[in-house]
Amino acid sequence: MSASIKAFAHGNRGVGIRNHQLILPSVICSTHVSRRIATEVGGVTFAHQHGCAIIGDDVAGIDNFFIALADHPNVNSVLVIALGCETIQGQELAAKLLESNESTQYRIIQESGGVEGTVAAGVKAAKELNAAFPPATLETTSLRIGIDKGREVSVISELQKLLQGVGHEVIISESQSSSADSFSRLAQEKAHIIISFPDENQPTSGFPLMPVINVASDGVLHQAIRADFDIDESAILNDILALIDSVASGTQTVAEKNNSGEIRAPRVVRSV
Amino acid sequence: MTSQLFAYKRETGQWGLRNHVLILPLHSALASSARAIADASDGAVAISHDWSGEVDNDLPRILFTLTGYAANPNNYAVVFLSIGTPNEKQIIAGAQSLGLTRFTTLSLPEIGSMEKLQEKAISVANEYMKGAAAEKRIAAPWSAIVLGLECGGSDALSGITANPALGVASDRLVELGATSVLGETTEILGAEHLLAARAIDPEVGKKIVAMVARYEASINYEGIDIRGAQPSRGNIEGGLSTLEEKSLGAAKKAGNAPFTGVLEFGEKPLVPGLYFMDTPGHDIEQLAGFGAGHINIVVFTSGRGTPTGSAIMPTIKVSTNTPMFESIPDLIDLDAGTIADGVETLAQVGDRIFDEILEVANGKQTKAELGGHHEFSLSRMYNTVV
Repeated sequence: MSASIKAFAHGNRGVGIRNHQLILPSVICSTHVSRRIATEVGGVTFAHQHGCAIIGDDVAGIDNFFIALADHPNVNSVLVIALGCETIQGQELAAKLLESNESTQYRIIQESGGVEGTVAAGVKAAKELNAAFPPATLETTSLRIGIDKGREVSVISELQKLLQGVGHEVIISESQSSSADSFSRLAQEKAHIIISFPDENQPTSGFPLMPVINVASDGVLHQAIRADFDIDESAILNDILALIDSVASGTQTVAEKNNSGEIRAPRVVRSV
Repeated sequence: MTSQLFAYKRETGQWGLRNHVLILPLHSALASSARAIADASDGAVAISHDWSGEVDNDLPRILFTLTGYAANPNNYAVVFLSIGTPNEKQIIAGAQSLGLTRFTTLSLPEIGSMEKLQEKAISVANEYMKGAAAEKRIAAPWSAIVLGLECGGSDALSGITANPALGVASDRLVELGATSVLGETTEILGAEHLLAARAIDPEVGKKIVAMVARYEASINYEGIDIRGAQPSRGNIEGGLSTLEEKSLGAAKKAGNAPFTGVLEFGEKPLVPGLYFMDTPGHDIEQLAGFGAGHINIVVFTSGRGTPTGSAIMPTIKVSTNTPMFESIPDLIDLDAGTIADGVETLAQVGDRIFDEILEVANGKQTKAELGGHHEFSLSRMYNTVV
């Protein structure tokens, strides 16, 4: 059994190990306003290039990706910030989110008096959400752990057994060249934490909603930037359980401290 | 008002209308650091993007975009944040060959951590900021202006007010010897024959038609008819009925001047004149292509209103209708809705846009600049899902 972990009850989103308020821009045009709101209220947000000029399967694909992020168990409440004329309509996105979680609001730039008006309205809405949905803590012992396998890892099956042995669920995602697509998949699979083994030629990276534990290889790049990693691969079987307990209970990973994390939504069609 | 342009002369002979210090992350993992560096510096700007060094079919397009963007004449200096891959080195070398002279490459593995990289980059950026502040604008010819024409969130008035008024300003600038670039191939579909008829010679006309056909084929290849996806829902709510109607309105931004040539996405025009550049209609991807193509100022017309701008190119927003201008005043620089209201003529608003271009070129801050809007987006032709 894993040690008891302090966690948060997030309604239909599930039990999370972070109590994030997600300021979700429904389109690239609202990412800057979203960041201003998030900075002021202590929420998380991210820059992305989507939400408009998308066609075909990407319309539903991007919509579903945003819904998955908003429904992530580490999220306590969601404020959608829309522009107004984009393909992914903010109020429709918010309506879909409200079907499963009441802790959702939206604001639209074109209907809120522009940038300053929307920042003010968004900050107010975010604070209202925080007041209406205070953190509800509980204890848990079982987490869903995503493993981003960006390189060959000799201890992967031992690691998997170790984690499963203490009651954690494990999802492994093989990433192609960088971890970005893998992180997006693991977010959609609602992983609480990611253990990332980036390719030896890739640096560390993070993700706004999930703490990422970056595991260093003994390669030249990784050892040169060892300070950006949380743990060495050679130490992982000995130390990972204690590290997971610590991170799950609130200790920030290096990527979290660095605010590191750009998301990359999966795309199947060129933009128009 | 004065009708003299003052700008920053670059060693390439190009002119900068701004003197930016750009923090350019060459890997998406460094994008958050780039933003933190710019925020903590004395006025440097940053972009973020989602390219993590992937080697796929879009690689040439991504390298071309970032290379051209780094060498945009509005950049006084560039601080590259690098992992040190050969492709990153190619971007830096390419920017140098395009005329970028002041730059520093900060290598993450050499510095050892993102935290130390940020500290170092802030001090490098601040040194460049001092140099940028010491440089003076000098009298510049009209050819110094390389204008980008953009529209986004179009409505039924776009083709009647803001777009033709911008066309008036564009025509005046081209007549004076400046360069003007129309983009958004999506929004030329159905109007390409009209643009081709204005080409300086039949060859250029054929190129315009071929570029549009190539674009439509690349969408049809995906099994999708773009005419079902455009105009967008926002456009329809704004009163547009078909893609052709949207295109006829969008093309009016380019006035009536003859087309000197066509440009690939992110390609820079070599001699003054009016050009057509093959870009997506996605506002921010288009702005990235304009930046890569060394456009140094943009006029962006909008019916619905948008806050977006560019880290390096001043972007003047023009509303097509007065109610929108009044409801979201901190997004829009000029109102062309006065034409529909019968308050001003097309020529008068065109002159007002021309005057604003000159003032902004000479240093007046746009609403998007004042708001710190530095959106950026790489354009990809292929999917990102393997």
